[in-house]
Amino acid sequence: MRTDRSLITGFLLALAFGLGIALTQQQEVDPFKEAQRQRELFRQTAGILPGELYAAQGEELFAQKRGPRNASLEACDFGLGPGKLEGAHAQLPRYFADTRRVEDLETRIASCMVRLQGFKLAEIKREDIKALSAFVASKSSEMPLRVVPRTSQEIAMYNLGRELWFHRAGNRDMNCSICHDAYAGSRVRLSPVRSPRQGLSNEWPAYRFEADKLYTLQDRIAFCYVSIGIAAPEFYSEPYIALSVYMLAEATRGRNSLTEMPGFTR
Amino acid sequence: MKKRYFGWLLAVLLAGLTLSQQGPFQQRVNQAIQSGGSRFAEAMKQDPDQALCSIHRDRLPPELAGAFLERQRALIKYPANGKLMGDWKQGEALFTDPRKGNCYACHTGDPKEAGAGLLGPGLVGYGQRGISEPVVKYTYDKIYNAWATMPCSLMYRAGVHGILTPEESAHVTAFLLEPASPVNARR
Repeated sequence: MRTDRSLITGFLLALAFGLGIALTQQQEVDPFKEAQRQRELFRQTAGILPGELYAAQGEELFAQKRGPRNASLEACDFGLGPGKLEGAHAQLPRYFADTRRVEDLETRIASCMVRLQGFKLAEIKREDIKALSAFVASKSSEMPLRVVPRTSQEIAMYNLGRELWFHRAGNRDMNCSICHDAYAGSRVRLSPVRSPRQGLSNEWPAYRFEADKLYTLQDRIAFCYVSIGIAAPEFYSEPYIALSVYMLAEATRGRNSLTEMPGFTR
Repeated sequence: MKKRYFGWLLAVLLAGLTLSQQGPFQQRVNQAIQSGGSRFAEAMKQDPDQALCSIHRDRLPPELAGAFLERQRALIKYPANGKLMGDWKQGEALFTDPRKGNCYACHTGDPKEAGAGLLGPGLVGYGQRGISEPVVKYTYDKIYNAWATMPCSLMYRAGVHGILTPEESAHVTAFLLEPASPVNARR
C-alpha cells in the first residue's frame, strides 16, 4: 500500500489527542462547533483528515486491476457515463438499466465489482466498499443535490422509502418521522435532529469522530435502526435504497448541497 | 330461494377475502422489508396500533382516538403491592440507563446531567405537582404506557414492551416525584 506510514502515525496521534480532549470535556457544547473544532485539530496535528485517508485508499482500489477478471473500476458508470465521477454522488441513488435496479452509491460500487471485476457479492469486503464510496463521493464535494425520482422504478422506490420512514415498530415504538419530522431542529442527547427537507443525509459518507470510523449512509441508517431497537437490514438491501431515495429526494427539494465529501461529523 | 342464499354467501365470502388481502402496495412494502433479511423483518413486525399510527402518519383522526386510548389503558399493569411510588434511587439508575428508560435521550431530569436531549418536555422540578394520588397515577401510567394518554406519541411504551416492569415503573415515578430526588432539588 502506498499510503504513507507517517500519515497513519500522525493520524493515530491526533486521534489520541482528540479523544483525550473529548473525554475531559464536561460542559455543554454546541455539537456543530465541536465537530468543527475536532476537524481543525486533525488538520493541525496530522495535516490530513481521516476521511481523506479513506478516499486515498479508495482511489488506489478504484484504479487497481483486481478480481477474477483482473479489471479496474474505471469503466464503472455511476449515471453520468463510464468513469465519470465528477458530480456522480450528488445524483445517486438512481435507476440503472444494466442491472435493472435502483442503486445507491454503495450498491452501485458493489454491482460494478460483480459485473466488471467478476467478484461474488458475498466475497466483497465491506471495508473496500467504504473506501471506494469515500473516493467516489470526494468528487462531489459541496455540490448541490440532484436526486429527482423520474423513472417509474425511482418513483416506486421513493414511495417505498416514505412508507418505511413512517413504519412504527420495535419495542421502542419508533419510526424515522416521529423524531426527524416532528422534532426537527431539536436534539437527542447532543445529536442534532434534522428533517430530510433540512438536508438530512447530505453528509455521508463521513468520518464520525465519536466512533472513529468512516460511516456510509447505509452504515448510518443501520446505526439508526439499531439504536431504536430494530436489527439492521442486510447491507445493499432495498430498505437502505428506498430510504436513501426518499431522504435525498426530499433534501434535493429543500435545495440542499452535499457537505464536504467525505463528511466530518460526530 | 336457495339461489339467492348462495348469492349472498358468495358476496360475503368475496368481501371477506378482499378485506383480508393486502393491497399490492402493502405487499411490495413487505417484500422490501423481507429483502432486509429475517432479523430485520422480524423486528419490523407491527402490533395493530403501531400499524394504525403508521397509516395515519402519527396523527390519529379524533374519531379513532377514544378506542385507541381505551385499548392502551387496558395494557397497563400495576405492582403487586399496589405502590406506584417506589425507590427513587433505583428509579434514577433506570431513568439514566440507555438500555432501560433511556429517558435523558429526550428529557432533562437531574439538572446536573449534562447533554440531556430536548425532544420531550423538561422534567426538572417535576415534583412541584405534589404527590397526590391522581398525580402519582398519571405519572406512573405515562411511564408504563405513554400511548394510553397520547396516541402515537414519540414516547415509547416502556411497560407494555417489558423494558420496565411495574415495580421499575414505580421506581422511575418516585425519581420524578419524590421531594428528595435530585429532579426536585432546591435551586
